[in-house]
Amino acid sequence: MVDGPVTGKVASSRRRARRRTNLYFVWHGVGSDPVARGAAFLILVLLLCAILAPVIAPFDPNAAHNALRLQPPGTPGHPLGVDHQGRDILSRLLHGSGMTLLAGVLPVVLGAVISIPLGLVGAWYPRLGEIVMRLMDIVFAFPMALLAIMLAAFMGPGLLNMILALVVTLVPYNTRVVYAAATQERQLAYIEAARAAATPDLKILFVEMLPNVAAASVVYSCTIIGAVVITAAGLSFLGLGVQPPIAEWGIMTSEGRSYLVNAPHISALPGIAITVLVLAFNLVGDALRDSLDPQTRLRLVRHRPHLFG
Amino acid sequence: MSILRFVLARFGAIIPVLIGVTLVVFLSLQLVPGDIALTLLGRFANAEQLETLRRHLGLDQPLLVQYADWFMRLVQGDLGDSLAQKIPVALILIPKVANSLILMAGSLILVIAFGFGLSVLAAANFRGPADRVIVFVSLILASLPVFWLGLVLLYVFGVKWKLFPISGMYDMIDPGGLGQLLHHIVIPAVTTAASSIAIVTRVTRSRLIDVLHQPYILACTARGLSRRRVVLRHGVRNSLATFANIGGLQIGYLFGGVIFSEIIFNWPGIGMQLYESILQRDAPMIQGCVLAVAVVFVLGNLISDVIVHALDTTRR
Repeated sequence: MVDGPVTGKVASSRRRARRRTNLYFVWHGVGSDPVARGAAFLILVLLLCAILAPVIAPFDPNAAHNALRLQPPGTPGHPLGVDHQGRDILSRLLHGSGMTLLAGVLPVVLGAVISIPLGLVGAWYPRLGEIVMRLMDIVFAFPMALLAIMLAAFMGPGLLNMILALVVTLVPYNTRVVYAAATQERQLAYIEAARAAATPDLKILFVEMLPNVAAASVVYSCTIIGAVVITAAGLSFLGLGVQPPIAEWGIMTSEGRSYLVNAPHISALPGIAITVLVLAFNLVGDALRDSLDPQTRLRLVRHRPHLFG
Repeated sequence: MSILRFVLARFGAIIPVLIGVTLVVFLSLQLVPGDIALTLLGRFANAEQLETLRRHLGLDQPLLVQYADWFMRLVQGDLGDSLAQKIPVALILIPKVANSLILMAGSLILVIAFGFGLSVLAAANFRGPADRVIVFVSLILASLPVFWLGLVLLYVFGVKWKLFPISGMYDMIDPGGLGQLLHHIVIPAVTTAASSIAIVTRVTRSRLIDVLHQPYILACTARGLSRRRVVLRHGVRNSLATFANIGGLQIGYLFGGVIFSEIIFNWPGIGMQLYESILQRDAPMIQGCVLAVAVVFVLGNLISDVIVHALDTTRR
């Protein structure tokens, strides 16, 4: 045993104390803000809708009621109307929520899982980090949506390829956040103490540093989920993502394009659904970011801005 | 002098990035699953056609040789021939890039004007009714999917009220003229700019609120300066760098938005071309479009960096 029991204890108790404060601020920041609380509740409801869709949806999402084609919302039996193929829009929205959530959230989660070790190792070995970050700079030379469109176009349409394209697009952004946080963190005393105690590099990175750096990455991830949901739905809108006849909100918006004059509700309703979902994610993301940002915390105390920090 | 040196240093830094960009665009073709020539031409291509395309794309060469060839031709302005239109990609791209830049400029003007105006209005009336309305509206705007907003505006202003034309850059009959262009650009530009306006507004507002709570602002007010003068002359100046910075960051989002706006409003720009080329599996054309946007984007970032640098007196 190289690191004595005393050093180990000091490091771990410091970590525990720090983690509790972060959680405390998350709970207070998000939990005490009624808007953010409502938004979090809304996301939960949509998640429940996605899981329970087969049970609560009144119809099969692909069942055609041909006689009722293009009927507007308020049609008896079809509260949100019927689309151009005679399919019940409410049922399609409920079934589509799962696919929309998956396509928006999974790339962010996978991106964070790749970015955190990449950023940590990059910050620990400066020469390697320099190379990694210069490579990432190349990706920053593409507008986010453009890179995702190009990758999805060449890989071919489909949910899996779209998620891959989005992960490749997102990793550099998240890695930069982790890298910046880890570079600052490695100068702190507890890391110096761990090094002095000859803790193995990997243990310093993934046991000592990870909990403090992960917060930055998680907050960043939460603030971009909304944008990624829009991009994923946009890729499906262009025909590069989820393929029909699967119900997904981006595809539903796109399918209504040809019927805009006579039946605008076909495009309008899924778009409203996307907006509400993105709004909810943005509100929760903002509250989370504010609750963990020491500067905003100070400002919150000083002159309490509302909604926006 | 210092600005000039800054520009030169940034220019030096973007050259390796641009070379990396060409590598990414070149390698992206390798992502096409299976036989590239077969995928591009479709199942009904005969052996001779496949062979011709392979030779045209250089697919029979080792990858490194392919890249070197491609890069050397690229430097000379030769991006290959479009598979769908059989003419050089560069020739098709130039007018499309110009059209996209027009839409981009229109959107950027909206972002600057509204982003700036709304944030000053909101911050000057901090927690007043105007502030609350602006905060609420920008929350919604920031969450709107650009492709859906485009469809909504198209329906409301084009189909229902018939206030604006909703397709292309000029009228079908007797096309041309600045007046027609301005009439056609309004809705696509608003669509592209909406979420960026929201983001710029919220960040600049937040910065301006901080500035307006600083002691020197109180000192100005105490000397009897009017509220208007305090906010516009003394407050705004200290938030200009933030404004330019966040505005510059929006360029990337605007490019993403432009792609969708062009597709929805039939704007004959690079995004529309990219979409058509994807549908036609025109690989050299797709690569050309992506490359063109990336180069314009990198240069746009350079310009915005220089502006931020010039405005940010503390960093200098």
